[in-house]
Amino acid sequence: MKPAQFDYARPKTVEEACGILAADMDARVLAGGQTLVPMLAMRLSRPSVLVDITRIAGLQGIACSDDTVEIGAVTRQAAALASEVIRAEVPLLAKALRHVGHPPTRCRGTVGGSVAHGDPSAEIPLAVTVLGAEIVFVGEDGEEERFAPEDFFIGPMLTTAPMGGLLTRLVFPRRAAAPTGTGFREVASRRSDYAFASAGAQVVLNADGTCAEARLGIGSVGDTPVAVDISGLSGTRLTAQDIRGAVVEALSDLETVDDLHATASYRKRAAVRLAELALAEARDDALEQAG
Amino acid sequence: MTDQQRRFVSTNRRVREDRRFVAGAGRYVADLDMPGTLHVALVASTAPAARILGIDASEALAMEGVVDVLTGEELSAAVTPLMNGLDTPLVRRFPLAVGQIRYAGEWVAAVVAESRALAEDAAEKVRVRTEALPFVIDAEAALEPDATPVHPEHGSNLLLDRTFDWGPVAEDFAAAEERLSLRVTWGRNSTVPIETFGVIARWNPWEEMLDVWASIQMPKYADQIARALKLPGNAVRVHYDVDVGGSYGVKRGIKHTVLVAYLARKLGRPVRLIEDRLENMRAGDAQGPERIFDIDVAFDRDGTVRSMKMRALDNAGAYAGRAPFQLGKPIGAIVGPYRIGSVQYRAMSVTTNKAVQEAVRGFGQAPTNYAIETMMDRVAAHLGIDRLELRRRNLIRAEEFPYTIPSGSTYDSGDYHTVIDKVLAHADYEALKAERDRLRAEGLCAGIGIAACLEPSGGNSSFEPLLNEKNRTSTWMEGSRVTIDALGFVTVAIHTTSSGQGHETLAATVVGEELGIDPDRIRVTRPDSLSSLPGNSPVGSRMAIMLGGAAARAARNLKRQLVAIGAHAMGIDPDTASYEAGTITAPDGRSIGWDELVDIGHRRFHDLPSGTNPGLTASFIQQVPTGVALPKDGKVQMYPCYSFEFHLVLMAFDPVLAKPEIRRYVIGHDCGTVINPHIVRGMTLGGIAHGIGAALLEEFTYDEGGQLMTQSFLDYLMPSSHEVPSVEIVHHCTPSPLTEFGQKGSGESGYLGAPAAISGAVQDALSPWGVTVDKLPLRMSTISDTIADAETAA
Repeated sequence: MKPAQFDYARPKTVEEACGILAADMDARVLAGGQTLVPMLAMRLSRPSVLVDITRIAGLQGIACSDDTVEIGAVTRQAAALASEVIRAEVPLLAKALRHVGHPPTRCRGTVGGSVAHGDPSAEIPLAVTVLGAEIVFVGEDGEEERFAPEDFFIGPMLTTAPMGGLLTRLVFPRRAAAPTGTGFREVASRRSDYAFASAGAQVVLNADGTCAEARLGIGSVGDTPVAVDISGLSGTRLTAQDIRGAVVEALSDLETVDDLHATASYRKRAAVRLAELALAEARDDALEQAG
Repeated sequence: MTDQQRRFVSTNRRVREDRRFVAGAGRYVADLDMPGTLHVALVASTAPAARILGIDASEALAMEGVVDVLTGEELSAAVTPLMNGLDTPLVRRFPLAVGQIRYAGEWVAAVVAESRALAEDAAEKVRVRTEALPFVIDAEAALEPDATPVHPEHGSNLLLDRTFDWGPVAEDFAAAEERLSLRVTWGRNSTVPIETFGVIARWNPWEEMLDVWASIQMPKYADQIARALKLPGNAVRVHYDVDVGGSYGVKRGIKHTVLVAYLARKLGRPVRLIEDRLENMRAGDAQGPERIFDIDVAFDRDGTVRSMKMRALDNAGAYAGRAPFQLGKPIGAIVGPYRIGSVQYRAMSVTTNKAVQEAVRGFGQAPTNYAIETMMDRVAAHLGIDRLELRRRNLIRAEEFPYTIPSGSTYDSGDYHTVIDKVLAHADYEALKAERDRLRAEGLCAGIGIAACLEPSGGNSSFEPLLNEKNRTSTWMEGSRVTIDALGFVTVAIHTTSSGQGHETLAATVVGEELGIDPDRIRVTRPDSLSSLPGNSPVGSRMAIMLGGAAARAARNLKRQLVAIGAHAMGIDPDTASYEAGTITAPDGRSIGWDELVDIGHRRFHDLPSGTNPGLTASFIQQVPTGVALPKDGKVQMYPCYSFEFHLVLMAFDPVLAKPEIRRYVIGHDCGTVINPHIVRGMTLGGIAHGIGAALLEEFTYDEGGQLMTQSFLDYLMPSSHEVPSVEIVHHCTPSPLTEFGQKGSGESGYLGAPAAISGAVQDALSPWGVTVDKLPLRMSTISDTIADAETAA
């Protein structure tokens, strides 16, 4: 378990990093290294050069504007989890982060690294998908390019990341002023394993307690995290029956496959169950805020 | 000796080894830094079975820093085949594949280079030309007449097929009012220590001495090395002062050792091989038993279990090794803690194209206990009798000990009913059942699991002559030496490596007890194998009994010398002198103290009683209590002492997600006199964690193409702190009449019963659907699918 030989570069600017990436097809970005380093050790990944972006100024940190919360790509998952801003303004992401790996890996792992890797069972991409966050790249020419999640995640560990581009930040919408509840559920063999199925949900309530907006995403089951249309819940009181009906219909054509640890039929049933639990959690959360 | 008289045994003293481990100051084989060391990486087979047509190492050898590439052809010409437990001489095993590859991952060539990274780079450049051969993965398929033998020379895949009839089986079956049959399957799990196996060998041509440092836990290690390399026994020196980072049976790297020892002699430089995780998982030859049990049981309507027929079919993997013996050890507790009057046992071991099976904690007892306990649950369900009540009706009673079971072993002591009573009282069994029913009312699956089982301990090796008539082993001794130096300080020598069992604490405690000296003032050393007394390493849950016995009795021999010296000095009969904490006292009150005794012993020959040697040292070689007779009529006394454990588990899970959650775990544990409570507690908790893995998570899974799917901790799922609940331990002590302090073994506890108890709890949780579970590990997905299928069918 010694990596094959590689070169190592530690650029100081985004521009420099993009230059290296653009010049060499086999260069790979090293951020927190929690997935990449084990893959290097098993020689499943054999990059020519590792571009360590953790010392580039400006890629870390969390900033709040009028409508959005921006997270630098190299922000450690542990820092994001500890962030008051994220807890208050992007509560679904805060809930998702608790399920990412475990404390030691979160201290190294980065928010942007997880998104760039595009694992369909990863929690941060699921939160990005549910909330419709923007994924921002800077190209070799210094121009920004913004991706919607559904255009970015296209397969297992497969994204439309531009060649020679560097993921610099994520732009999440701030939560609504109205009561906004969130729920995040997943099931795995062990606490920090890749989930068999995961569900993230967010609901916003009208003043009369009915549902103004409901969002749901499912992770781990398909090739990418998927946003599920459950707009039918709008206007309902989000009773257990409302939720069940909407979820069963929305997830009826979910496609998945067997693997070593779980059958496809299990994953599908688990996805439905988790979606119900996540939506119920979101509803209860919102009702609590509504008083 | 009663508890009140003991000063150190059974007291809550800290474990001396823990200090260096907690501080990160252990000394493991990979920590050894030897100048000029060469490093080995392996070329692994990608095919499960293939003929080797040629190996081209030219490109690898041309790389800078690469010193050698060793093939099986060269190695097998120089060394003898590795030890084979059974009399199957045509099942030959060498450290590297010779002519034929027999499992995916098997080592085909070894690359030696100046660094491990270079060796790995070069290993990728070794070209192995092969021709694919048919292969077989499944044990039952391997038994089919048309199955391809893994070893064509041997003629079939059958390594062992022995049927034992103990007692009137046919009569008992004919007389019984009821019978039922069941099949249960134990998945291929193991112990997977964080430290992989590692070894360094160095050859000194001027001394003609092979020095070996290894992460080893194996009997007769030095002998096996010498035999394989055709060296005199006194030309191999194994260094036991190496910390071993976990083993639980599997650290038996003889193939690794023979490989590096050959290279060290050939190349004239120290050679080291530290397995990486991939090498360890797929070809460390350290996977555990994989077993299908077919059981017929005959019983009466009152719950009396009369007789049992058990067929155990074990998948040994590609070579024999000691794996088939893991079918033999459970013969010593084949009826568990129950009064079953007769047993038929058919032990079958087959080769397949999987990695080689090695000894795992309990040496086959955990799977057997799982089978017996599942059988008891099924009998209870069949009769509509409460599972606890059924067990109570069949348990051996305290007044029946010593109790001889049909297969010839005598259980030394026990009080099973009392242990169970204490657990039920501690757990409040009625409240636990009410809690289960409350959880069910909430819509959860909830179940209670119970398991009562034995831990045979004091490891002899009686299964060897039982299963191989050419093997005449009837001793499995352990030695220890105690010395008082000229300054009056005490040193105990132990003659093995330790892999976390706390032998230094054990030896110091019992010697301190005998001599009346604070154990913290006693030094414990580990001489190398050439300076050691005979021993058989810490296997078979034996060291509390065997090393504890040897060290205590060596100390007692030394104490006898001190008494003789003191009595002589005072001119009294030694039989009238008393010894207390290093002082000899005469009946008239005169006394002579430690410093004076030491001075006489070391300097004043003229003051020694005649016939006494100068210098204060004594040793003792402990024979296994009861372990003297060879098998007769298929019966033998297996291990001497029998610890008992009773598990009580409450589990709950969502019927769809089926993630099993252990809500309560209580274990009653009786290993006789506990020498150090912290060590026993640690072993019990670790064993339960290990059992949770075996029951729910861990399996070496091969796909239909013969490839190992679980090559790292990504897929081989060890329980983490999230999955292991807090465990309540209820102690009981039934001393063994056969040992120095009444101690029995504890090193396998927890693992022996946890899988049965957890499986029973899941089964109870599924009872509302009328379905059964009969295969470990119980995957979440399988549990959920079973419920869904039952609901669809309904």
